[in-house]
Amino acid sequence: MYTIEMRNVTKIFPGIIANDNITLQLERGEIHALLGENGAGKSTLMSVLFGLYKPETGEIYKNGELVTITGPNDANTLGIGMVHQHFKLVHNFTVLENIVLGVESTKNGILQMQDARARVKALSEKYAFDIDIDAEIRHISVGMQQRVEILKMLYRNNEILIFDEPTAVLTPQEIEALMNTMRNMAAEGKSILFITHKLDEIKQVADRCSVLRKGKMIGTVKVSETSKEELSEMMVGRKVALSLDKNEAKKGAAILQVKNLQKSSGDGKPLKNISFDVFAGEILCIAGIEGNGQTDLVYALTGLSEVDSGQILMEGTELSKMKIRKRTEMGISHIPEDRHRHGLVLDYSLAYNTILQTYYTKEFQHRSFLRKDAIMAYARRLIDRFDIRSGQGEETPARSMSGGNQQKTILAREIDRNPKLLIAVQPTRGLDVGAIEYIHKQLLEQRDAGRAVLLVSLELEEVMNVSDRILVMYEGEIVADVDPKKVTFNELGLYMSGAKKDKVVA
Amino acid sequence: MLSFVMQHTMFFMIPLLIVALGGLFSERSGIVNIALEGKMIMGAFTGVLVILTFQETLPGQPILIIALITSMLVGVAISFFHAYASINLQANQIISGIAINMFAPAFAVYTARLLLGTHNMHFSNQFRIESVPHLGDIPIIGEMFFQNTYITTYLGFVILAIVYIVLYKTKFGLRLRACGEHPHAADSVGVSVTKMRYSGVLISGGLAGIGGLIWVIPISTVFSGSVAGFGFLALAVLIFGAWRPVRVMFAAFFFGLMQAISHSYSGIEFLRALELPAHFYRMTPFIATLIVLAFTSKNTVAPKAIGQPYDKGGR
Amino acid sequence: MNRSSMLSFLSSVLVIVAGLAIGFIILLISNANQAIPAFTTILTFGITSMRNLGDVLLFATPIILTGLSVAFAFKTGLFNIGASGQFTIGAFVAVFISLEFTFLPPPIRIISAILAAATAGALWGAIPGLLKAYRNVHEVISCIMTNYIAMLFVNYMIITFIFDPGNATSRRLPADSNLPTMGLDYIFRDALRPSFVNVGIILAILTAVLIYIILEKTTFGYELKACGFNKDAAKYAGINENRNIITSMMICGALAGIGGALNFMNGTGLAMGIVDVLASEGFMGISVAFLGLNHPIGVIFSGILVAYLYIGGARMQVFGFSIEIIEIVISIIIYFCAFVFLVKTFVGKGLVKITKKTTQKEEIVE
Repeated sequence: MYTIEMRNVTKIFPGIIANDNITLQLERGEIHALLGENGAGKSTLMSVLFGLYKPETGEIYKNGELVTITGPNDANTLGIGMVHQHFKLVHNFTVLENIVLGVESTKNGILQMQDARARVKALSEKYAFDIDIDAEIRHISVGMQQRVEILKMLYRNNEILIFDEPTAVLTPQEIEALMNTMRNMAAEGKSILFITHKLDEIKQVADRCSVLRKGKMIGTVKVSETSKEELSEMMVGRKVALSLDKNEAKKGAAILQVKNLQKSSGDGKPLKNISFDVFAGEILCIAGIEGNGQTDLVYALTGLSEVDSGQILMEGTELSKMKIRKRTEMGISHIPEDRHRHGLVLDYSLAYNTILQTYYTKEFQHRSFLRKDAIMAYARRLIDRFDIRSGQGEETPARSMSGGNQQKTILAREIDRNPKLLIAVQPTRGLDVGAIEYIHKQLLEQRDAGRAVLLVSLELEEVMNVSDRILVMYEGEIVADVDPKKVTFNELGLYMSGAKKDKVVA
Repeated sequence: MLSFVMQHTMFFMIPLLIVALGGLFSERSGIVNIALEGKMIMGAFTGVLVILTFQETLPGQPILIIALITSMLVGVAISFFHAYASINLQANQIISGIAINMFAPAFAVYTARLLLGTHNMHFSNQFRIESVPHLGDIPIIGEMFFQNTYITTYLGFVILAIVYIVLYKTKFGLRLRACGEHPHAADSVGVSVTKMRYSGVLISGGLAGIGGLIWVIPISTVFSGSVAGFGFLALAVLIFGAWRPVRVMFAAFFFGLMQAISHSYSGIEFLRALELPAHFYRMTPFIATLIVLAFTSKNTVAPKAIGQPYDKGGR
Repeated sequence: MNRSSMLSFLSSVLVIVAGLAIGFIILLISNANQAIPAFTTILTFGITSMRNLGDVLLFATPIILTGLSVAFAFKTGLFNIGASGQFTIGAFVAVFISLEFTFLPPPIRIISAILAAATAGALWGAIPGLLKAYRNVHEVISCIMTNYIAMLFVNYMIITFIFDPGNATSRRLPADSNLPTMGLDYIFRDALRPSFVNVGIILAILTAVLIYIILEKTTFGYELKACGFNKDAAKYAGINENRNIITSMMICGALAGIGGALNFMNGTGLAMGIVDVLASEGFMGISVAFLGLNHPIGVIFSGILVAYLYIGGARMQVFGFSIEIIEIVISIIIYFCAFVFLVKTFVGKGLVKITKKTTQKEEIVE
């Protein structure tokens, strides 16, 4: 008998079978990994479990009894809780308010928080969460926010806990702590479903692992009896090189020199006296936990936000007061962190998106009138060169393209401008293994063509595999300048969490 | 003199306060409410209709209460259309607002002509309270707040207190605010975004309906299918008040005071001495609002999810 | 016509029919005996004579321009609820020049009146634009404010400079200040007299075409729409968002301002009143824009349609109904516009799903 059993679940969306006859069995007290690429159907399966989607066929059993789940309330009643990849927290509510939302206790219609406060405090102490329950969500770190999500489940006495890609935003040390929490909870008899695509973590913490690929269940295996290579082959369907082939970097002259960059005003993290160089022919990676100033640094370099003081020199020319367009013309390309927010105008066609920074050049306009033919021809050229797939070719609305192809469009546009400096911020986020490989190769090609590449990444695998040099950012400061061949994951983690700090002199 | 201005300030402030608090419910749940004007008109129209029906047979205060209840119900009813388009159809929330704003005055005039033969609905004001017993005798304050007044003035403050408690001290308020900030979070813990947003929009309609009637009564004995842009002013008050009840009250007071001054400046010695044309006093509240907004808007934050239809699939 | 615009057109027609049907029901409830002749009048009066048709075009002229003003703003991501104030300011400046600048020869005076109205409207529109760009003030609220300020300010200006105490309005425009009819009065007339329709309608249509070209064919339109669709991406692309907001609001203001000029220079002898309500042309512009699906060419048709209904509706008193029935019908039509967008999105999404099964995959699944 299983705590939860999803039997023969099929979910069809127009034109695609997202879940094809999937059976998933979760035992009491186990940590069960659910492995699969983006698009394999993990999220759909979880949405079915939460009653957000109604499957075409299939049943759900809890402790052997058939149950119907039509929404989050049913799931909660059955003791199922989930930590979503994108946290479901109200930013201007306190920790406590977020935890009680949906299961509030009232007296004469007035909210009663005292009991809740005591219970949350107790739970937080039990798991050593060390959390300020009256802080507003927007004022606490991402790691803390995740603990709030876990507390939400514990507060509801959930027995079946689902974690959707929980480690993406954590330092190695925080990941370690999370793993411990998960082990403790499993030991208490709670069942944990752990959605991930990171093989190391599965090996570390999971008892069993179910693998999904293209909507199908490939199999469920005992983790202790299966190698990482086997798991990855199950996930991708072919042998995958777990590390990237690359030559030694041929480091050239300094392309970008950042000197004593400071920012304390405005939104976001302050930047504290940041100095570093990026050289031609190298991939310099900026590692760090999300929200430690990486975004702000990139905004400062690209001109999306202003700095208080300091210099940004591009081959000796001062950029820090220049407008965005001027910087683009100076040879900076930028693959932005959020492709929907900055990278694309989703309501424009693919073609119109390829000329986002060049529409005003002679090539694409004549006396202020857009040269449609030239634009279309240019887009077709990029589509061929970068193998961008879309339904209606260059006329495809960007909105209707897949994430991978949207990212390829941005990559194509930014690389094709022949930049001197390519800034890529989390360029592989949310993409499948094939697309990730492709993008890594393109970055390496750019490096080998003698361009300076500045890569901002949260994924330590990526940091270690792709970069030639690593800077670590913590609280708006650069705390390490290290060689990926000499540094360990653990050391990086210490830098990222602020436990270790070097005097970095550029 | 001061008490005269104060009394008048109340006449303008209270409807603005009530209507803006109505808008607050809708907008804190995530639905833009540009239709306050139309909802006020519907409320005022039906309220006045009730007054006309009963003014021969019943004493003032009971009529007022019946009329207020009717206004509220009608405000709720018209809000269904707004809610349906904005929530169920996930349409642009401004479109249905505009439709209601256009429908209401036309409907009021059309129906009044049909029923009464004229769109100018004259009624007799039997609602004024000369002086509240005991309280009206207090020096200065009594004159300012308890003479030449209406029960609706006190209703306004009662509503403010209720709104404050409901919004910050109840389960409903917590859930409503969650829907306006992060509907997916609310949904994920089993709060029905649809239900909350419907409640928000319908409550806003009820309060706007009441506000419409409360606007008419102290300042006129004729209603002609217009509330003179007070619905839009209430929207300004709401934004000015940063979507928070107490701040909304101060904003309403400021607007009310400006309106009162523009209507009664000739009675104020030093203002009369300035010899400015009357139009400038009438412009003052609007210009003042613009200036104040120019200096405060950088930091005001609207409810995060406002104006966005809630789509379960979206992230 | 491609599939999508065909769809827009069909849904607009459907929406109009639905609105009219409800209007008919209201007439039936009000007075069943007169409902049918009254409704027939609404439907046909505009084409019962060439003069009536001319009046439709005359009426359509200012609301096409305010409609364009709202639609243009909408395309660039702004909601111009301030067309009313811009219209009023433009109207005043045109009337003022027509009355006071009599030393100019008529053709030059007419042209300068229109240009000055456009400029004044643009400057008035720039206020919410500047406030939005530099002070983060939401344009809806600043537009509401500037509407009232415009109304009161113009009241004051009329009384101070061009008042006619006899009528308590502005003075009437001299005949040589009216827009030329360009022979339209020979086409649009009945046995009794010609319509006042004039070159204004041609100007309005040409302006719509110009706006269409700007939005769809030029780099400027590319920038504006990029800002409208996604201002963060526009900023990323190095497009000066603030400048675009201001320019866009100025163009909106100019359009509404021209609308104001054409409205009073049309030869009907209209004078500017001392008013207590905002100019309705501005709000009709919102209806016209949404009904025309915010497309410049669509606005021409929706403007004429709304005018057509008004001209028919103006006859309602003959049958004992008040003319507000037309506003009720139009408001219902606007309400149903909410459904149009819905229908379009659904069908649109369906098309995407059918044609692009594979590429959609990731998005749907994840």
